Amino acid sequence: MDKLFAQVENNQIIELLIEDLAESLAEDFDFSEITERLNYYHKYPVEINKITDDQLKELFFLSPVQINNFINHRAENGKIIDLLELQSIDDFDLLTIKRLLNFVYLSAPNSINGLEAKLLIAEGNHDLMLRFSQLMERQKGYLIPESSTGSRYLGSPQKLLLRYRYNYGRNISASFNAEKDAGEQLFSNSGKGFDFYSGSLSFQNIGRINKLVLGDFSLQFGQGLTMWSGLSFGKGALVTSVAKPDFGLKAYTSVNEILFFRGAAAKISIRRFSITPFVSYKNLDASLTETDSLNSTSQVSSLGLSGLHRTKNENENKNALTQFIAGANLQYQHKNIRAGIVSYHNRYNYQFEPGRLLYNKFEFSQRSLSNFGTYYAYNIKNAYIFGEASHSAGSGYAYVNGIITSISPQVSVVLLHRNYQKDYHSFYNQAFSEASNAVNEKGFYSGLLIKPNSKLELAAYADLFKFPWMKFGVDAPSSGYEIFSQVTYSPNKKFKIYARIKRELKDENDHLINEVNGLEQVCKQSGRLEINYKIIQGISLRNRFEVSNYQKSEINDLGYLAYQDIIYDPMQSKLSGNIRLAFFKTEGFNSRIYAYENDVLYSYSIMAYQNSGVRFYFNSRYQLRRGVDLWFKYSLTNYKDLDKIGSGLDEINGSNRSEVKFQFRYQF
Amino acid sequence: MKFLIGLIFLISLKVQAQLSPGPRFTSMALTGVSLQDIWSLQQNQAGIANSKKAAFAIAYEKTFADQELSTQSALLIYPVKAGALGISFQKYGFSAYNTLQTGITYARTFGPNFSAALNFNYHQLRILGYGSSSAFSAAAGIQYLLSENIRIGAHISNPGKGNFGKNINATIPVQMQLGVSYISSSKVIIAGTIEQLLHSEMDLKMGLEYNLINWFAIRAGVSANPFKQYGGFGLNYRKFKLDVAATSQPITGYSPQLALGYEF
Repeated sequence: MDKLFAQVENNQIIELLIEDLAESLAEDFDFSEITERLNYYHKYPVEINKITDDQLKELFFLSPVQINNFINHRAENGKIIDLLELQSIDDFDLLTIKRLLNFVYLSAPNSINGLEAKLLIAEGNHDLMLRFSQLMERQKGYLIPESSTGSRYLGSPQKLLLRYRYNYGRNISASFNAEKDAGEQLFSNSGKGFDFYSGSLSFQNIGRINKLVLGDFSLQFGQGLTMWSGLSFGKGALVTSVAKPDFGLKAYTSVNEILFFRGAAAKISIRRFSITPFVSYKNLDASLTETDSLNSTSQVSSLGLSGLHRTKNENENKNALTQFIAGANLQYQHKNIRAGIVSYHNRYNYQFEPGRLLYNKFEFSQRSLSNFGTYYAYNIKNAYIFGEASHSAGSGYAYVNGIITSISPQVSVVLLHRNYQKDYHSFYNQAFSEASNAVNEKGFYSGLLIKPNSKLELAAYADLFKFPWMKFGVDAPSSGYEIFSQVTYSPNKKFKIYARIKRELKDENDHLINEVNGLEQVCKQSGRLEINYKIIQGISLRNRFEVSNYQKSEINDLGYLAYQDIIYDPMQSKLSGNIRLAFFKTEGFNSRIYAYENDVLYSYSIMAYQNSGVRFYFNSRYQLRRGVDLWFKYSLTNYKDLDKIGSGLDEINGSNRSEVKFQFRYQF
Repeated sequence: MKFLIGLIFLISLKVQAQLSPGPRFTSMALTGVSLQDIWSLQQNQAGIANSKKAAFAIAYEKTFADQELSTQSALLIYPVKAGALGISFQKYGFSAYNTLQTGITYARTFGPNFSAALNFNYHQLRILGYGSSSAFSAAAGIQYLLSENIRIGAHISNPGKGNFGKNINATIPVQMQLGVSYISSSKVIIAGTIEQLLHSEMDLKMGLEYNLINWFAIRAGVSANPFKQYGGFGLNYRKFKLDVAATSQPITGYSPQLALGYEF
């Protein structure tokens, strides 16, 4: 048993988990936070008899049904005395157990809490990391002379990140990040140093105070309809991920410049109840339009979400708006039931501009907003029922309800219904949706997961959605659907193959230049085949072939991507790394293909392959000594038929785009 | 209004001229090609070969929840040595326009795992004020029990391309189906089908039946092309069966149907 589940001291486990996740999620997703979380639990595993359901939720690969079955099993049968017991828990398949055992441990029955005790008395430990990356080719934005009146990048083309973590046992932790994106100024005239700073100090389990965070924090409650900052899962091969694992208050550690709060928050537990009050005050990027030049009053015409401050204009919009948020969450949790209410108030120093066009007529146009929501999750036998209802004061309502149920040991079914009104407003809305925001949408999702045996898995879903009001680029109420199916076969630990197909049909405006357009159907289809196999100890290969197709009236674009990965990761070696060689050809932007790339630790990249050419990268890690690591990545894309890459200020003259990335980590 | 209904009807005729395989298979996204039921008579006749008792069933389907447009079906099966015989009737349309299809089937088993069936149909088409026309078609199907819990089925209908006269804009579809069903437990059946209609795109379908308790089952399914969602439930009481299904299509809306069955 011990040998079977022996913990492997390399990073590949987490990388594989993240890859699995990345392959099943949207393109523009922040994986750094989840990588950090998993690395933390890998380094400091939790005793299996002490792990809480909130901690289990942080291990995103467990479904809510599995978490609940685990908690119930432990409650009913008492302490887990052998890890083999996990196999007797309903819905715990071997893969899940293998994954879980990288983040938990079982202390020997007689030792007084073995590792846990060691952790607590441990001196505080520090983790310092520096990252540098730069594009080798000069982009147009850097070549424009200072004397020119046009827009140009004011800073240098280097991207820098400084990251520091401090943990004292499990009770005190601190984090600090400083970042400068490519094109941003460092120690400019204003003397502000890095473009973005983030930091937090958090305390756990001080009497009734379960958690206290000062500085930057994130909040995730219920199904994300009312209050959810940061990471959120959507549709993908992980069909059970439509139920969101909400773990409430957390210290914010990522470098996304938008999706977090700045202030203070605490979680206080009183028996079955917990209350989480929070308050935040911070600046946001926004472009303002002057509405009354006499009194110099302005309105917010749009929020800046990129976090990039490279040009004069981007710098002018930086921190142009202040946001104040205060509120609280009250939650009740007992046995199989969890329910809560969350309410908060947002206030801005400028009013939002009313939508001038018909499609944005219902968008938020006030200076302040109050949000209310109530959510629940209930486990009954083999079913997990969950949902949330939300309301924005003075405007719309939104609802989401779902069920995940194991109807037989091999078959799980997921159903989710949603109805988000066109005038529902929330700045922190990450609920399940087809569109990028959970607003102006009705839909029904059904998913199926079949595991006939330990080697075969079939995941499929179908989602029907309707947008009752018009949207940007869609001049009428519209509808569509998405279907997905994936079969995975892994006969042994050394070999895995999967195939997937996806088809999406939606309405969009036609190409005619009219005031109001008619709608046309747009069909996107893709198919993928991927093979992973270990050839010898320490060396694995991965091949992928993917085709994509885009159809809209007379347009019928095809694209393909084929790549070969070599993954080198021997046990107890100081050096590990991976190499990719990819060939691609697409007939344009619409048939582009996304693929996840390996990157330096805590970084992630998802490459959009379009036009035709070759991409190569190699990514490596070298352990200088225990606690001191170095990473290096070099990537090069060569486009066959282009003499200019990109557009606007990002344009590169030539057919090559290459990047270097260094990272250094020191743990002490 | 009648004209409009007629128009909608004509547009969707290619699909609608197919047999309606009853609410159980419909709620499972019409994935009955590898399943066994009296309603196999309307989707893959090989599915009746193992019937040990005589049975009959009737069904009524409202198309797009319209007031007039409907499908009515009646079926009868009778077990014979190493197989079963079946008779089927189906009427589709409204007062001014309708089709009637009458079929006879012979299905038999070849060993414990394999069964096959042949089916012949007589089609009549009536349009008020234009007269009527008739045609013949045939169908054949097989089912094979691959392992204890996996059954595959294949079916072809109208391979001879039998049709109404040249001047009539109504076709009897040439259809091929290949399906597999998986019995996950005594409570759960999952079925998938690939369907190809001649001169049409391929369709992929998936359906599921879940027997919550021994007298009550819920069913659901999805088809890819065109995209439709299906749902329904079934009740058993002694020798009686009651099945209900609804089909939902993004644009046209819901089509409900109901069937009653009796096993002697």
